[in-house]
Amino acid sequence: MLVTLESTAIARWVGESLYAYPALLACHIIGLAIVVGIFSMRDLKLLGFFPDLDIRVFGSLNRLALSGFAINAMSGLLLFSSQASYLATSVPFLTKIACIAAGMSLAYRLRPAVLLAASMSGSPRLASPGLNVMAALSLAIWMGAIIAGRLIAYLF
Amino acid sequence: MWGYLAQLAADSSLNIWIAETYWLWPVLEIIHFIGLTLLLGGLLIIDLRMAGHIRVVKPALTHQLLPFVIFGFALNLVTGVLFFVGDPGRYSINIGFQIKMVLVVIAGLNALLYHWKVSPLMEGLTEDSSSPLIARCTAYTSLAMWTGVLLTGRLIPYVGTG
Repeated sequence: MLVTLESTAIARWVGESLYAYPALLACHIIGLAIVVGIFSMRDLKLLGFFPDLDIRVFGSLNRLALSGFAINAMSGLLLFSSQASYLATSVPFLTKIACIAAGMSLAYRLRPAVLLAASMSGSPRLASPGLNVMAALSLAIWMGAIIAGRLIAYLF
Repeated sequence: MWGYLAQLAADSSLNIWIAETYWLWPVLEIIHFIGLTLLLGGLLIIDLRMAGHIRVVKPALTHQLLPFVIFGFALNLVTGVLFFVGDPGRYSINIGFQIKMVLVVIAGLNALLYHWKVSPLMEGLTEDSSSPLIARCTAYTSLAMWTGVLLTGRLIPYVGTG
């Protein structure tokens, strides 16, 4: 199946075109900055930094964060398609995908509506222990995704 | 200028250490990527608010993010200098790197404009006030320059000599 994916016209275009691969990598780093940038600032806020910054900021940024994720899901899928059978058994690649899945499901648990409800319930710094732990975990997971992603080029 | 700096770097003992320490390069790259997320993540919020978006907070309150932006920049300045010192012949003649450095300098001058002119202007603004033109210009310039820095930086391995 992976070999079939690699032999599709679009996968071959990604692999063979002079511009497609670098252009997709360029999209991928913009998406990375948007997604991990916004989520890490949200996590730092939940850990007690930026005490005066209203949590609703992240409600306004939610669509942007999801757009960044969409950019990276698409560019990532295209990048993957050109090397599918190699990446499917690459430990750093699989670790990165696991980190992204965990990070996105934590992002759902920490979605703006939940955070707003928590802030309404009185705790001025959102210092509820559950949220703190999830934020610390989320921050570590996104850093893990970056580390694993970079190591794809170095380890198998 | 780049040729002179490259010569200086190539003659340093740091150059040999970076080139010979096999695990160092990927570690520097990882730190450089983490630095860019802190830099861009913080700036995204500060600049979008300065430009008049995310009006749920006063613009001045987003300034609490600045220490993380500066920390991210510091990480990337240090790791970036080490990349250059470790492989000066490659970077000094690379057009992607050269454009990236120009964009970083423009972003830096823009940050000085923000610090001296725009930031004091933002202090008095509330959630409802509209952003002055100079604030919007500074914000969009910042976002455009840093986006350009990401793009040109990522393309360094793929573009030719300047």
